[in-house]
Amino acid sequence: MKEKKQSALTRAFLAVMGDEKRQSFTIPLFAVFLSLIAGAVLMLVLGKNPLAAYQSLLQGCGMLPKEKYAGGKGMFTDLMSYLDIWTPMLFASLAVAVAYKAGLFNIGVSGQMLIGGFIASITVGYSGLPAVIARPLVIVVCMAVGALAGSLIGFLKYKFNINEVVSAIMLNYIFQYIISFFILTFYVNPITRQSETVTAEARLTLQDVRIFGLKTVVPLGFIVAVAAALALHYFINRTRTGFELKAVGASKGAAVYAGVNANRSIMLAMALSGALAGLAGATYYLGYLGSIQPKVLPSTGFDAIAVCLLGNSNPLGILASSFLITIITKGGTYMNSSIGVPQEVSSLITALMLLFAACGVYIRARLKRSKDRAATAQRKEGEQA
Amino acid sequence: MDEYIVEMRHVTKRFPGIVANDDVSLGIKKGEIFALLGENGAGKSTLMSILFGMYEPDEGEVYIRGQKVETFSPNHATELNIGMVHQHFKLVSNYTITENIILGMEPPRRMFGVLPAVDVKGADKKVAELSRRYGLEVEPTQKIEDLNVSMQQRVEILKMLYREAEILIFDEPTAVLTPQEVDFLLDIIREMRRRGKTIILITHKLEEIKQVADRCAILCRGKLVGTYDVAATSTSEMAARMVGREVSFTVDKSPAKFGAPVLNVEHLSVKNQDGLTVVDDVSFTVRGGEIFAIAGVSGNGQVEIADAVAGLVPAASGTITLAGKDVTRASVRERALQGLAYIPEDRQARGLILDFTLSENLLLKRYYQEPYCVKGVLHRDKFDEKSRELIERFDIRSGQGEATIVRSMSGGNQQKAIVAREIELDAPCIVFVQPTRGLDIGAIENIHKQILEERDKGRAILLISLELDEIMNLADTIGVIYNGKLLKTAGADTMTTHEVGRYMMGVKE
Repeated sequence: MKEKKQSALTRAFLAVMGDEKRQSFTIPLFAVFLSLIAGAVLMLVLGKNPLAAYQSLLQGCGMLPKEKYAGGKGMFTDLMSYLDIWTPMLFASLAVAVAYKAGLFNIGVSGQMLIGGFIASITVGYSGLPAVIARPLVIVVCMAVGALAGSLIGFLKYKFNINEVVSAIMLNYIFQYIISFFILTFYVNPITRQSETVTAEARLTLQDVRIFGLKTVVPLGFIVAVAAALALHYFINRTRTGFELKAVGASKGAAVYAGVNANRSIMLAMALSGALAGLAGATYYLGYLGSIQPKVLPSTGFDAIAVCLLGNSNPLGILASSFLITIITKGGTYMNSSIGVPQEVSSLITALMLLFAACGVYIRARLKRSKDRAATAQRKEGEQA
Repeated sequence: MDEYIVEMRHVTKRFPGIVANDDVSLGIKKGEIFALLGENGAGKSTLMSILFGMYEPDEGEVYIRGQKVETFSPNHATELNIGMVHQHFKLVSNYTITENIILGMEPPRRMFGVLPAVDVKGADKKVAELSRRYGLEVEPTQKIEDLNVSMQQRVEILKMLYREAEILIFDEPTAVLTPQEVDFLLDIIREMRRRGKTIILITHKLEEIKQVADRCAILCRGKLVGTYDVAATSTSEMAARMVGREVSFTVDKSPAKFGAPVLNVEHLSVKNQDGLTVVDDVSFTVRGGEIFAIAGVSGNGQVEIADAVAGLVPAASGTITLAGKDVTRASVRERALQGLAYIPEDRQARGLILDFTLSENLLLKRYYQEPYCVKGVLHRDKFDEKSRELIERFDIRSGQGEATIVRSMSGGNQQKAIVAREIELDAPCIVFVQPTRGLDIGAIENIHKQILEERDKGRAILLISLELDEIMNLADTIGVIYNGKLLKTAGADTMTTHEVGRYMMGVKE
């Protein structure tokens, strides 16, 4: 028994971190805080001012004003284009989360995004249908294709017991190269070497909209993404199907014993995950980009795994963590151009964030120990008094 | 104080909502077998985890060989020559016995005189030597996955001996063993004492203590009741001190009133994953108001019968009729709705979702029914309401009531939660598999009482147990299983314990 007196600092820290319930968000926040500090040290080593760097991240996302803007641009346009890229990230992270809740690791979100986006592009994107029909149709097609691709992984899992990570990675390759073949053969734009841009009627992000005299994008999918996060939260915590899904994830043996159809839950989780990944693909390829670059998988689908972990795979937590990580990734471009911090630094900060978030369990255990000590010390003082 | 090799002074350890050890002081002499006796949740395991360095006590001191222990960590405990055999073994299943034993302290050698490598052959020899010396009978080159539980336990013991442990802690070592294996283990323990090792035995089985231990300390609800000389204390006295009151070893049982058949199993065969027949043409009938017990040595197909009845494994052939309906092909849920409650053998992997709350676990069989679920939406307030009622009625103890995460509850209370949930289903047929495994006398008594109560309500009860005493005390009809076949079925009063025991070993007539 070491009778170490706890310093005022320790006590204050314990008070801030709160009880176990509160820790589920104070610990990720603490991880974010630590990584920002570590990032600051890194920038000092590079000879840059970390405060200015972090400020430029926010400026790049339209959350702080820049010094000067090009014609027709402003803080508002930056914010809108930030939302434009946040949307697919949010969808993709939710896709990872719903599979994770059922105990599955959907590493195929990128592939599902790609095939959803591709099929929607060639069926609706070039069709010239009026916007009222085309836009909902894009969403429906992407969800359906994504869900099918996700279900395929779920089916392989329950029918042939193929590990979902392996089949998802293989499918990623298959989608990537088959789609590249079709794009390069039939849909390529010879100048950009990408697929032809989809029609404005089918595009989920409105381009060059004039608001307050500024020319801005309007990401329509953003509202859907936030609504999806809220709906998913309700689904997982309050509905019977969500409960069964979580039960299968937490203990398949016990779920089967309780009469849950585990195979159905696995299929459902993968279909749902795929549908959300499809939505990520819709807002990425038919929103943010407007075209598809062949032979490339979107990194969003992989970053989403990290975002999901930082957000405790809780839809509301993901709302916050995807918001944050998108600031760092998107703001990195402006950080580079304005004060010359290499864009890789923003990837580094993101990586650090995940590293610290992964230490959450350790931090939790340390907090518990310090707390127990504090309680004992307090009791002793009480006895002496 | 030099005579004690281990001394714990005024040790107190608290967990949220529970004082696991409350001012416990005890001393253990070198070269004795010291038993630690107490009910589930009495704080035995916690106390020994402190000794092994897994927890730090909140108050009090621990002395090993007269030296105060300053650092609490399993590594430090190993340096002090303390070893522990846990209830759940910690082995790598596709490694050999030797590889498991040397893991973490691999003996080095140089391949071709230069390349660093592990001297597995040398270690094999050393392990074989140790095994021979203590009569453990293991083959060092076998893989863990090919061994049964008893052999795996011996590997754990060898692991400690290899690390030159002088003080050996056994946490409920006999809970997973058959009677013959228990005898074998007790012999090993005696041999270790003869060679000067100090042994601490955590258990709640009185007869084992009586057989091997020199002294025993009794814990009750975290407090030390006292330390006793085993030879001078009777088992009933120990039992009374352990639960804090007198305990009757026999069960008061009213005469059975049999009703109509509820569960009818005909020519049931079950195959395991490898396609081997583990249940072979088994037929029996359980009537309302009857306890039909299946006796047998572990691994003879009894668990598979229960799983087949519940629908967790498919029947290869035969029919299962429940309350007048053929359910052979029905799903798990359809059978539950038809009137089947099931207390499974493996409470942690089957019976409970450990990371869910007590409330969610108590409603695991009802969550989809009204009023807990209306139009696909769960009503958590109704969950909690029902849970509080069950917690009260079945005296389930936990740190934070219905919001407690089940993982943090003691084994006895976890089992209480399962029994509460299943009895509450009001099903005409209840299957109990090993309902009292690993539980203490108080809890066993309680569960036996509940089984009899359900029988007297006219329910059909299928009891599968490895404890012959339990079967002889409770059953109305006994079926003895051997090698997947039901060798003998007869009224409980027509067979003696000795006869049942003989059938269990496969001896016919």
